[in-house]
Amino acid sequence: MNIKEFTKGLFKENPTFIIMLGMCPTLGVTTQVVNALGMGAAVIFVLTFSNILISALKKIIPDCVRIPCYIVVIACFVSIVEMVMHAYLPSVFNALGVYLPLVVVNCIILGRAEAFANKNSVGDSALDGLGMGLGFTMSLTLIALIREVIGAGTITLIPIGSFSGTITIPGLSANPVRVMSLAAGALLLMGLLKAFFQYLQNRKEAR
Amino acid sequence: MKTYIKVALILGSICAVSALLLAFVNQVTEPVIKALASQEEIAALSDVAAGMKIGAKEAVADSDLVKERYSLGNKEGWILKVETNGYGGPISLVASLLNDGSIIAAKVVSSSETPGLGKKSELPGYMDMFIGKGASSQIPTSKDMLSSEDSQAVSGASVTFTAISKALDSASAYVKSIGGR
Repeated sequence: MNIKEFTKGLFKENPTFIIMLGMCPTLGVTTQVVNALGMGAAVIFVLTFSNILISALKKIIPDCVRIPCYIVVIACFVSIVEMVMHAYLPSVFNALGVYLPLVVVNCIILGRAEAFANKNSVGDSALDGLGMGLGFTMSLTLIALIREVIGAGTITLIPIGSFSGTITIPGLSANPVRVMSLAAGALLLMGLLKAFFQYLQNRKEAR
Repeated sequence: MKTYIKVALILGSICAVSALLLAFVNQVTEPVIKALASQEEIAALSDVAAGMKIGAKEAVADSDLVKERYSLGNKEGWILKVETNGYGGPISLVASLLNDGSIIAAKVVSSSETPGLGKKSELPGYMDMFIGKGASSQIPTSKDMLSSEDSQAVSGASVTFTAISKALDSASAYVKSIGGR
């Protein structure tokens, strides 16, 4: 097992900002921080387990039907997450809506199965899944945080005890820049962040 | 030929194992999900009943959108369960109406609308723009019929708004068609 397989997903090969995979849910669910966290948790679970299983079955799965096999495995895990969330975390399930079943066709998961899990050991694949999932969650949370603060003037987290789950930012919540919570704002912000991370990378390489 | 059979067998067995696993998880979670749904429905009914007595559930067959009805209070009105289609799929809502077709209260029970946009229709306050409408004043079914403040609140989620307003409009029409009684 190589710990590098875990850390590469966080920054160096971050799925959202560097590999640019899984843009659809990234733009779709990042209207509130809590949605980003829920989506991230679902992706971490599905990605880790599908990577482990696909890596373990890599010698059995025939090359010509590998994609259908991957999709069946991934869809199975997504359905499990969906049913468990529906039963035990109904509020997160409701908030994620249509994006949860769409995890099946999330390119990160199929991409990692195809590019990593079917060539590497089970341990490395598990680390890769965890790292990529965590990197995806971090990017999603960052985008959601910026969009929610500017677009709605609030930060929505999970309600615990007396804490209602929503932090309101004075000033901004009365006059939010509403475009940020719409699809156009997501694209604008995504472009700006991508440019920023590209700048950081270029500067690092120039040194 | 042999390879084809082998490939088919492998893919088939992966599918079979997945199906078994899902059947097992479903067995565990289904009763919990069902209990949650009926709890939510009861909570939604008492939310819109405005303190009045809720009658027994009756199925409705002669309306496109209205699926179920409950008599309200001492024959003062009806609670209707309405199902419509929004942006992300079916929206199910309950609405209480007086016999003249005006809306007392309404609530979205379940929807698959976009979080942060159409999903806002589930927040308290969203239905305020419909309350009291339906008898002498018309239910707003397009954005032009809203005040500028309400129209801002639904911006970005016009499809959801249209679906909900049409659902409430047909609920109101249904109550009028049965003449209150």
